[in-house]
Amino acid sequence: MIQARGITRTYQTHGAFTGAHAVPALRGVDFTLPDGGAVSFIGESGCGKTTLGKILTGLETFDGGELVVDGVELSGLSARARAKYFRRIQMIHQDPYSALNPTRTVEATLGDPLRMRAKEIGGDPGKWRERAAELLTLVGLEPAAVLPKYPHQLSGGQRQRVVIARALTVDPEVLIADEAVSMIDVSMRLGILSLLRDLRTRLGISLVFITHDVATARYVGDGGELHVIYRGEVVERGLTDDVILTPVHPYTQCLLSAVPIMRGLEEPGPDRMAPIRALDERTATPGCLFEPRCPFATQECALTHPTLVPLGGDGAGVGSAAVDVGDLGDGAHVHACLHPAARRVVGVEIGAASA
Amino acid sequence: MSEVSVRSLTIEYQTSAGWLPAVADAWLDLRPGEITGLVGESGSGKSTLALALLNAVPAPGRIAAGTVELAGVGDVTRLTGKQLRKVRGGALGYVFQASQNSLNPLKTIGRQLLDLGRSHEVADLRALIARAKDLADRMGLDGDRVLDSYQHQLSGGMRQRVGIVFALVLNAKVLILDEPTTALDMLSQASVLDIVRKVHDENQLSTLIITHDIGAVSEIADRLAVMYGGRIVEDGPLLDVLRRPSHPYTRALIGATARIAGDVDAARALPGRPPDLTTVARVGCVFRDRCGFAVETCATVEPVLAAWEDGGRRRACHVEPSTVLSGASGTPAAVGEPA
Amino acid sequence: MAVTTATLGASPRARRPALLAFRTAVLRKPGRVVGLAIIVLFALMAVAGPWLYGRLEIDPDAVYAPPSAKHWLGTDFAGSDVLQEIIVGARYVLGTAALAALITAVLGTGIGLVAGYRRGFTDSVLMRITDFILTIPAFPLLIVLSTVWDFSSPWLMGLVLGGTGWGGMARAVRSQALSLRERGFLEAARGLGLSTRHIIVKELLPNIAPYVAMHLLLSTIAFVTAEVGLFFLGVVPFSTTNWGVMLNQAVFSGGALESPDALFYLLAPLSCIVLLTLGIVLFLDAVDELFNPRLRERA
Repeated sequence: MIQARGITRTYQTHGAFTGAHAVPALRGVDFTLPDGGAVSFIGESGCGKTTLGKILTGLETFDGGELVVDGVELSGLSARARAKYFRRIQMIHQDPYSALNPTRTVEATLGDPLRMRAKEIGGDPGKWRERAAELLTLVGLEPAAVLPKYPHQLSGGQRQRVVIARALTVDPEVLIADEAVSMIDVSMRLGILSLLRDLRTRLGISLVFITHDVATARYVGDGGELHVIYRGEVVERGLTDDVILTPVHPYTQCLLSAVPIMRGLEEPGPDRMAPIRALDERTATPGCLFEPRCPFATQECALTHPTLVPLGGDGAGVGSAAVDVGDLGDGAHVHACLHPAARRVVGVEIGAASA
Repeated sequence: MSEVSVRSLTIEYQTSAGWLPAVADAWLDLRPGEITGLVGESGSGKSTLALALLNAVPAPGRIAAGTVELAGVGDVTRLTGKQLRKVRGGALGYVFQASQNSLNPLKTIGRQLLDLGRSHEVADLRALIARAKDLADRMGLDGDRVLDSYQHQLSGGMRQRVGIVFALVLNAKVLILDEPTTALDMLSQASVLDIVRKVHDENQLSTLIITHDIGAVSEIADRLAVMYGGRIVEDGPLLDVLRRPSHPYTRALIGATARIAGDVDAARALPGRPPDLTTVARVGCVFRDRCGFAVETCATVEPVLAAWEDGGRRRACHVEPSTVLSGASGTPAAVGEPA
Repeated sequence: MAVTTATLGASPRARRPALLAFRTAVLRKPGRVVGLAIIVLFALMAVAGPWLYGRLEIDPDAVYAPPSAKHWLGTDFAGSDVLQEIIVGARYVLGTAALAALITAVLGTGIGLVAGYRRGFTDSVLMRITDFILTIPAFPLLIVLSTVWDFSSPWLMGLVLGGTGWGGMARAVRSQALSLRERGFLEAARGLGLSTRHIIVKELLPNIAPYVAMHLLLSTIAFVTAEVGLFFLGVVPFSTTNWGVMLNQAVFSGGALESPDALFYLLAPLSCIVLLTLGIVLFLDAVDELFNPRLRERA
């Protein structure tokens, strides 16, 4: 459905006295999203994951690399032609409170795109009401109760469902969920996540799931691939369960260590760790981007920039191994660390450990 | 001996339908050296309860009944004017929900700190600054740099830490944190939680953390109180409550949390939506509509929070604890639309 | 069960006819009722005034007469009834202000919205035009134009005031549109492929409407004072009855500042301006609620 190769995006900032300098938000991101598949991106704030989501929905431009949607390379197309492809990719926003127009009812919010869509595909625009009811039912809302309401009359979880219903009005093939559950009560998150999973299986919609909470990425369905992104660069990639169970990049390990442990039910992993200092986006380094914060950094890390290589085998001397990871099969576990090592950082369920 | 004892506290809000209780008959103790996690969904009344500890319930709300005894001070709900201001920030340190945005953007952190000192009539401002620097340093911040910064120069996690510095700089013995990690990413959340535990232990505080995230609070709390529809429905030692939730709501809440370990398919979203002031049941149990264990009594009689086991556990439920623990739940009687 | 009924119970007010919403909003506070009543009163004067008293009677025996049962507010230099004059004069004053406000609303909002939403080149061009308009001083322009145009009809005056007065509104609306543009629902509307017209009219405009309405009511006050000021100073030739002319006559011919004879002649139009301003300010309070569904339903 979507193939991205070496997507880069650099922002130029102009300080009053410091002059212009370039801040890379994305440094060559590759990924493949199969039809009906799921790809998750995890990373902390400021790692470029939101920029990626905006690029994929056409709200941002990219300045390097290729983006192929449905077999068509987009950068060669005119803005108008591109818009047609981006229409198939719809965004679920992080903040359900600003994602709906406060002055319009749910009925109006869904009605306009539905009538527009009906005209395009030669349907009957008069039938939009039925279609709206159908979509609301699909996302788990009661149409009669919700249609006449304004956004402020709905709870956070209900709003997010309306947002999803609105995205579905134009029959998208891909949904981009950028922190789609982070502003919703924890108790409501699973409901939204299982809805997204449902949409994959029932409608064959592919999903790009962007989050800082690794745990939620487990709930969006099978066969998903997880990309760990750090300062605009993918540092580890593999099937979601593989990366969570056997992370090898120290950054991934830090992220996984940060997931809270439900004490009493889970035990912390024995190798739990944290970055040794806070993120500083300004540091430029010829070596590994994570080196300044990495508890295991060596001198080599400060000098050599690691590239993505498959896990196992040629773990040593990777700096020169120019493997085109795009050629590796889906689900291959790859990482960009000079000294990869499996560490047990994830919490373990207490019952499961003894069983 | 409790640092803070909340006794039969009822807080009401004025609505078009008259005065409605946002918090009903709450009993809670904060003890020195103990972190209490107060967990609930939005609209459960947990923030209102926390504000009542400062006697700072905003209009159109009022404390209708009950007391908040603060050790060495007395009933906070009776304090007014200057005495009350002295207690807020003095004995009770509060870190607000949006503390990332509650700093003045036009003043450096240091200046705001001096303002705080002056308003509390601190004689030795130098010592105040020294203490703030010390606190900041111990939280992994560069004290000098932070005091010279404006809020926009600090990241979300750093601002949260500055909020804690402000809450503790006047030697508060009670620390109240309202949703301290909600807007933070996982790495910042982990470090803030870590720091809360550290300052708590170092200063032998009585700490209350208010959150909707049972996972995050379970990382550091000693006791857990669960709130629903303005009522505390269960409380007790954290490990025990998590292992053996005795209230159907606690049980459902734990089961509805996305976790990094365990069976993905075993997780169940909580059905229905949380009630608010106007939709909460007036008679009977407030949770019965979303409850899988509800019996006939639940519709008519409101269960009271009562001790049920040794080890300081309390629950407010008509159903036998053993039934809830064994987990033989049916489908909820009536669940409206998903929230 | 209770959950479903409760959520349904909360919705009956969700879609009320606009008129009903208007009524509830105004009735909520007595100040708003008074404000609206004052505005309606003046509007009626403006519409019906000249029909009621087509030609003002002249009574040479009662020049600058004090208030009496026959002349409630006394008479002017020609012995005409001041109250009648006020009523007749309202049309010019309010007609001008209304037209100017209309032009401001349409041009200011339209240009501001398009510039703020489109950004880039369109924005630059539209904002340069706006800046140009902002630099035109309406007073001198009117003085110059009065040598060419006949300002006896309120429409020309309104045209000039409105045509030179929409710049501030355009700038204000643009900055609102710029900040709204980054909101999630507008990004979503663009992502869905809804037309620019739809986005501007249906998504952006309702969110800016309270802002526009408020700005508009306040600029109405400014237009009234501006035109009255012009007549009072005498820079525009008098060819009609209006409050500005009355003020001018009272001060410069009646000597209202020196003798008490023309006091009522002076105070009457002044009080009208103050009263109208008061009415508008009182009514402003209701505007936010009229457009904001959240405030509207608060009981």
